[in-house]
Parts: sequence; structure tokens; C-alpha cells
Amino acid sequence: MPAFPERHAAASPSPARPGEDVLSRLPGLSRRHFLGAAGGAAVTALLAACAGEDGTSGARPAASASASAAPSPRRGGILRAGSPPPPTAVDPLTMYDGSAIAIVQLVADYLIWLDKDFTLVPRLAEKWAPEQHGKRWVFTLRQGVTFSDGTPLDAEAVKASFDRLLDPDGKSAALSAFDTVLSEGGVSVRDLSTVVFTLERAFSDFPYLVSAGNYNALILKKDYRGDFTKNPVGTGPFLLESYDPSSGATFTRNPAYWEPGKPYLDGVQIKFYADDQADLLALQSGEIDAQILSRAALAGPLDGTAGIVVDQVAGTGLTAFTLRVDRPPFDRKEVRQAIAYALDRPAVNTTVYDGVGALGNDHLLASLFPAAPTDIPQRAKDPAKVAELLGGRKVSFALTYDPPSKDYALTVQNQLKQVGIEVTLDQRTSADFYGGDQAKDTPWLFTDANLVGWAGRAVPSQFIIPMVKSGGVWNGSKYANPALDEAAKAYDAATTDDERKKQAEIIAKALHEDVPVIVAVWSGAVRAYNGERFRGIAAHPSSYVDFSSVSQV
Amino acid sequence: MRRLAAIPLTLLAVSVLVFTATELIPGDVARTILGREASDASVARLRAELGLDRPLLARYASWLEGFATGRWGDSTLLGVPVRELVLSRLADSLLLGALAFVLLVPVALSLGLVAGVNHDRPADRVISVAGLAFGAIPEFVTGVVLLVVFAVRLRWFPASAQAPPDAGPLTRLGHLLLPAFSLVLLCTGYVARHVRASTVASVESPYARAAELRGLSRGQVVRRHVLRNSTVPATSALGVQLQFLLGGLVAVELLYNYPGIGALLLRSAVEKDLPTLQACAMVLGVLYMLIVLAADVVYRLLDPRVRLGTAS
Repeated sequence: MPAFPERHAAASPSPARPGEDVLSRLPGLSRRHFLGAAGGAAVTALLAACAGEDGTSGARPAASASASAAPSPRRGGILRAGSPPPPTAVDPLTMYDGSAIAIVQLVADYLIWLDKDFTLVPRLAEKWAPEQHGKRWVFTLRQGVTFSDGTPLDAEAVKASFDRLLDPDGKSAALSAFDTVLSEGGVSVRDLSTVVFTLERAFSDFPYLVSAGNYNALILKKDYRGDFTKNPVGTGPFLLESYDPSSGATFTRNPAYWEPGKPYLDGVQIKFYADDQADLLALQSGEIDAQILSRAALAGPLDGTAGIVVDQVAGTGLTAFTLRVDRPPFDRKEVRQAIAYALDRPAVNTTVYDGVGALGNDHLLASLFPAAPTDIPQRAKDPAKVAELLGGRKVSFALTYDPPSKDYALTVQNQLKQVGIEVTLDQRTSADFYGGDQAKDTPWLFTDANLVGWAGRAVPSQFIIPMVKSGGVWNGSKYANPALDEAAKAYDAATTDDERKKQAEIIAKALHEDVPVIVAVWSGAVRAYNGERFRGIAAHPSSYVDFSSVSQV
Repeated sequence: MRRLAAIPLTLLAVSVLVFTATELIPGDVARTILGREASDASVARLRAELGLDRPLLARYASWLEGFATGRWGDSTLLGVPVRELVLSRLADSLLLGALAFVLLVPVALSLGLVAGVNHDRPADRVISVAGLAFGAIPEFVTGVVLLVVFAVRLRWFPASAQAPPDAGPLTRLGHLLLPAFSLVLLCTGYVARHVRASTVASVESPYARAAELRGLSRGQVVRRHVLRNSTVPATSALGVQLQFLLGGLVAVELLYNYPGIGALLLRSAVEKDLPTLQACAMVLGVLYMLIVLAADVVYRLLDPRVRLGTAS
């Protein structure tokens, strides 16, 4: 169920932490392992100290500047942005890493954009409305939009784009995003500018599934053949001029972009940096103007130094600390609750997320989701409660994870040791951790306890259905609760906010009580850029890019 | 000639080793391509498309046949032709390695010679300790310090070793100087120690003492008798360093954002991009063997005892 992009690095097909969620996906022996967290922090401190000597620290140019009375945009200029190289060929259908998504988002567009505050912004669709109590959705397309090769956008192109994603023999991860909601044959053309989606069941949040929140759902030409970097045709603000998997990509302004007057930039240049330290040094030295994917722990300390602005935004990404409820020692609810009460969540937020995140409460309804319950007491560290729950029982277990979750794992190990719980760390390469068969042996779904990075989702169902619903495709805890299943189904079908909140509360209380997954922190996201040169660059919960409104200072 | 003839056999052994080892590494390249959120069925289809479901021997045989006939295939991960990818990365690595080597040779030989001639004096101690210290500090540490000071603080050099595509030779050189300097710092101590040791032996040898007794100045003795004899043993040390400089620069390539073959090799190994990994291994294998061969040839040219087969 793809929703927000993920990086890493690399090359793990996933991790989601502030900034790192879509970072280099190189598993195993990466630069990050050479330097380690301490080394990275040292470099950042060194850089910050250097900038301080210039007397430039303290000023925070553009985060506030962009928010204040916006001056009229200055046209022209090339924005140079740094990003990790995509781990695989760039294809809108199969991409999942932040770099590839950013490249494609500059060139192609969605029916609906997902803004940083989770509001839906019309793009290629001007309006949409449910019919048949949410079982059918009708989208009206924007008029006068053309693809960059001059072909007019029409409903047939939209239908073809979704048919590709829904093809049971296809390879897009978006297929699982539509699972049980929309299947092959569910998209039809009413007229040249109207597309109809007929769902398998009522789904009130359906517009999110065809928005950028489902990042593969880009509208491409009907005859798209999977050769995006060789034949890059889209309706986005920029045209892809060149792409080299080793060095980067260059873009020029799309003169036929549908939004009048935009984009303001003449072009964008994305330079690839396989190492996030190198990416940061390039920003600090002025070699690039912005980062596509920033790590809060590295970029945060540079905010306000030498013109660098680090924009920050709340998010719904998380590192799920999953416990197998069907195997000892976590088959006992008291043990799971004890682990949850042993964690010092503010310390996790500070250590792992540089304080950018928001505290989690062991359920999957982040406070950003409108239906999130507010009356469940925040769980906090309580050693006395841990002792009471364990009743003198000695607990030890192995915690399995991949490199992007290393800091989180070490923090958990240290915190649990303080209450007498022994944790053995079992670090795998990302390829190993996410490899294997998802039906029987992949480590991220079948180990007793593990850490899995999840990039942010636009709607809570995108977490709940796969992760904790009985038999969910990514239910690593093997949790099964019929009451929760019913509530999840009712939540999706709810047509009023009150009903949605009622079902959300049932779900949240069940998860908070049963603790199949510990959610200690909801991660935020940051984006660093040179505020003395450009304005309009902003962080996004999923590290998406919309440079159509960026201009020179 | 015998050494040259052994190259293909060695490469064959390397290819078998790499192929087998890659099979043992956990993970699935099809899963890496599609991401963890793709279904098992989609991954299985891709595996079939990539031919990964064929028997190991069959895959090896078809790879070997293709490689031997010049068809290196496409990168499994990136979908681009392997030959272009690997050779362009190799060219970049050769450029950086060659520059570092050109800087390294005179610096290391000079320092080793000065240390040897002045052995057990302050100059010797300073050179030896500094060489050991810089040799012991990993290149990514010295590299970060150099970058922070010279690229970020002073802005004398660019932070990235990768010059823009339209850059001229001088600009490209400017981009490469900082990483090359990092490498010189790392490698100088090792080579200088070899030169110092042989210089000390030469200076204290009977022929050097005899020359001094015949009235030659210390400088003349060093130039005429010590220099050549001291540099001969350094040839093998330089050969070892050259192998490292031309293919083992993973940390420097990543830190300075340089698209060399070291980083490509690492990435393709970790992510099981077999066609790319095999091509990198083959190309580097040939390169290493040629370097060893060249070092032996130079050794023979410099040392007549080896050339004439009279070495004890």
C-alpha cells in the first residue's frame, strides 16, 4: 500500500524517519556506517561552528520570510538541489524512493495534490464527488491541459494511467493501495473530461487514494511504455532534459504548463549524492541550493547558519516497534504493555528524531488525522508499572531491524535495559530484512520483535488495514481482533465526521490496550535550503517536491 | 608471457567466486527493484522476467557467454547498459587515481629519502610520526576535515569532485584536487616508510661508506648511489597503493560525491546487481593484474640483479 515515499538510502525499500525516511537506500556498508551517527553529528557540529564564526548564526531568513507578505516572484534562475541517486530505474509505476518520486513529480502531475497539511488540492482534476453513498466517485478534469508533447489531456489518458496501476499482472506497488477498494475494470470514461471510479466497497477517503498520497498515481500518456527517462512526457511544471543515473537530472521550464505564469524558475538541476554527509556539505558550501531529502538530525543544527533555512513540518511517518502476539514472550499482553511503559518517548524523539516528531500513544491514529481520538491518556515511562506488569518475570528478546533503524534500536535497547529487560540487537541488511516470502518467512513480518520504518500515510486506513487488521498483508504482529476489523470497515464507509471519530476511537483504544505495535513517536520531516537565494521551498511530510512556486529571492 | 596467459584463468576463477558469493548473500534483487510493498506475485513475475528463476549454472553460462562476446547486458537495477556504466565509472576512477598517484610519488619518495638520510634525527621522527598518523586516520575523517576547512569555510575548492559536464580541464582538475590530497595524506606514510628503510640500508651500506671515504660529499653519495637503490623496493609499495587508488576508493568517492567504480562495485554487491558486479570485478581484476605486472617490469628495469637473475 504505497502512500508516501521512502528512502535509503537506500536501498531499503522503506524506512521512514524524519528526513531519513526517503534517504539513501544503500543497505549494508554505506557511508553512514563508516561515519555512524556520532560522526555525522560531529560533522554537523563542525559545520555549525564554522558558520557561527562567520557571525551569521541566529538569522533565519526565509522560513519566516516566505510566510510573511510574499513579494512578487522573481522569474528565472536554476535551482540546484541535491538528492541520493535513485536505487533503480526511474519508472512512475514502480518507483518508491524519494529521489525517483521527486524527479517524476517535477515532470508529471496527479489528479489531486496532497499538500503539506494533508489538504487535497485540485490539479488535473478540477472537482470530484461521490455517488451511491461513496461506492462511486466522479472526477471532472481540468480543461485545456496538454502533455508536454502537445497531446491534450483527456479522460482516456486518466483511465489508462489507473488501468496500468490496477493491472493484476503489473508490478506497481499501488496495486496493494487499491486492494479491496478498486480493482481492474473499475475505471470508466463518461465523457472526454469525466472519469468514473466504481469501487468494490464504500470508501469515504477515496480521493486520497488517487492523489499524490498514492505516489504512483501519476497521470501519464495512454501509450506510456515504461521508458520514462528516455521519453519523459507529462503535464508537470518542468521538462526532463537529461538523466544520468550516476550524476543527476536537468529540467527546463515547461512553457505549456497549465497554471498560468508558472513555474517561475527557468529550470531545476538535481545532483545525486550517494552520501547524505556529502549532500549536506554541498549545501553548506553553496554547491547546491536545496536538499530534496533532508535528515533532521544532520540538517537541523544548521538552521539559521550561512543563509540555510531548515523548514519543518509535522508528519505521519513512524517506526513501528512490532511485537508478535502469537509467540512468547509477547503472547502475553502484560509483557507488551510493560515494554510500552518502559520507553521514554520524549528521549526517543530527541535522540532519534532531533525533536522534530510528536509523541505516539501506541495506536495508529496520528493527531494529524482529523478523526484522531483525544481522550486516551498519553502513555509515559513508568518503571513501577513495568515491574507490576512483569510480576518478577525476566524478559529478554531479539530485536530485528535494518540499518536505517539502527539509532532507534540502540535507544530501545538502552531504555529497556534500565528496567531489566534484555534486548539482543539483530541488524540485517535491508535486502535481507525485506527479502524472503511475505507469506511465510520475510524477517520484517515474521520475527518476534522488529522495527519497521513506515513513511507517512494520508489516511489512517492505509496503516490500519494492512498492519493490524486480521490477516492484513503486512500484519507483522499477527494481531487479530474482530472488533477492530469491524470498526476499520465502518470507518472506511462512514459518511459523517462523528461516525468516523466514533470508529477511530474504537480502533485506537483497542491498539492502545493490546499493544501489537508500539508507536513511540510520529516523525516529522524537514527540508534544508538556501533562504538567501530562493523562496517558496517547503518541507513536506513525504518529502514531495512542488517547485512550481519557487522563485529567486 | 606466462603471467599474461594466467590472466584469463584468474578472471574465470574470480567470476565463479563472485557469482557463487552473490548467491549466498541474502536478499532478492527483484524485491529491491519493486520495493517491499509490492506483492509477492509481482516480485515473482519480475524474477521470471529477469531470468532469476533459472538454475544457477544456466545463468552463469549465459552470463559468461555474453561477457566473452562483448554483450555485458543491462544493469538489473538501473536498466542501463553495463558496459557503458562500468567503463565510464572506471575512466573517472582512473582519472582521480592517476592524479593522486602523480602527486603521491614525488612527495612520498622525497619524504622517505629525507627521513632515511636523516634517520634518528628530528626530521626523520617528524616524517615517520606524521606518516603513521595520517596513514592510521581513515580517509573519510581527513576528507571531512579537508572539506569543512577548504570547501565550506574557505571555499577554495568545490565540495564535490564531480565537475559539471561542460567543464574544461582546469575546472575538472580543481574539483579533483581535494580528494586527491586526501589520498596522498593517506598513502604517503606507507610508501615513505619503505623508501626510508631502504635508504637507511643504502646509506649504511659498505659501498656508500666507501664512496664517502673516496671523498664524495653526502649529497653526491645520495644522488649517485642511494637514490636508485632506495627507490627500487618502493616500486612494489607503489604498486599496492596504485591498486587501492584505482579501485578501492569507496569512502573517498562517496564523501566527495565522485562517480567512481569503487562505489559502483559496493552498491552492486550489496543490492545483488549481478551483471554490474561481475563486470566491475572483471575490469578491476584485469586492472590489478596489469598493475602487478607493470610493477614487476619496473622492478626488473630498475634492479639489474633481478633482470639478470643474479639476485640472492
